[in-house]
Amino acid sequence: MQPATRSLERKALILTLVLGCQVLAAIFFALDVAGDIAEAGLGWHLSIELLATLALAAGVVVGAIHVRSLIERARQDQTLISAARGAMGALIRARFAEWRLTAAEADVALFAIKGLDVAEIAALRGSAQGTVRAQLTRIYAKAGTTSQTGLIALFMDELIDPAATLS
Amino acid sequence: MNIALTKPPRNWDPVVKLTHWSIVAAVLANGALTEGGSWPHIWVGYALAGMLALRLLWGLVGPSEARFSAFPPSLSRALIHIREIRAGKVRDQPSHNPLGALMVYAIWGTLGIIIASGIAMAGLPPRAVTHEHYAVEQVAAHDDDEREGEESPLGETHEAAVNLLYVLIVLHLGGVIFETRRSGRGLVLAMLPGRR
Repeated sequence: MQPATRSLERKALILTLVLGCQVLAAIFFALDVAGDIAEAGLGWHLSIELLATLALAAGVVVGAIHVRSLIERARQDQTLISAARGAMGALIRARFAEWRLTAAEADVALFAIKGLDVAEIAALRGSAQGTVRAQLTRIYAKAGTTSQTGLIALFMDELIDPAATLS
Repeated sequence: MNIALTKPPRNWDPVVKLTHWSIVAAVLANGALTEGGSWPHIWVGYALAGMLALRLLWGLVGPSEARFSAFPPSLSRALIHIREIRAGKVRDQPSHNPLGALMVYAIWGTLGIIIASGIAMAGLPPRAVTHEHYAVEQVAAHDDDEREGEESPLGETHEAAVNLLYVLIVLHLGGVIFETRRSGRGLVLAMLPGRR
């Protein structure tokens, strides 16, 4: 799960706990004020207490609606990311096929796009750094670029539409 | 198996979990720990009423699968569901399954009866809050009255509804176990705190 989604979910959880406490407080005050009114009738003091209790109850409703919106934002976040992931995966597969990368090169290229450096890729694949460097050179040549940044930019350039992003 | 793997895991939202488990805790506390008629029993009951109220509010404003509209109490849908169980068909349920929905409403209704009869017996306890000693004395006196005389109709209602609740809880647990075995979906996991 993404950190942003996680933080939204954490917010929803904390707010839910607060909401639970608010409900308990609202019940407490509602009973208290109802008992007082039953005993002493509705005076000035109790009218104000009653209004405060109603305000607390209204706060519970508004809080619940807020929790719902947080939950829905977290879900939307997850849906967007999984949609983008699916699209990105399809795009990467299409480009790799187009560039005729070998299986090993596709592996290395994927790590490179993820932002790993030569040493990290070599460690992950259990091969020598020199091998990875040679593979990267072939990948850049096939993709028509000269660097890792250039390789990443090939995908970013296709995916980001400035007009749609900054509007 | 593949389908189960590709499906996103369902998980209840935090409000559903909070209300579910606090009601469980309140029922356990009042069933096993507190003495009937004592002020802890009464206040645990009020807290339970608050949590039930929150769940009902959530049924109106919560996310789609927590709303009443996602699990209407419908006998015909329950019958269709039973037929599907017989046929061995497993359908993805975004909310409670139709039998589970009936159980939910049965439990809520029973809790409502328990709360209403409990409040009718205990009355509004403003003094239980502000003057605990007074309340304890009063409750103790109240207790003696009940022991001497016959059980009031309200008390009987309260008691009968509680027994019904225990039966429903056993059925609910049975239903969860059955459905978990049948569909292999993490019904229990979906209600546990934390993410999957």
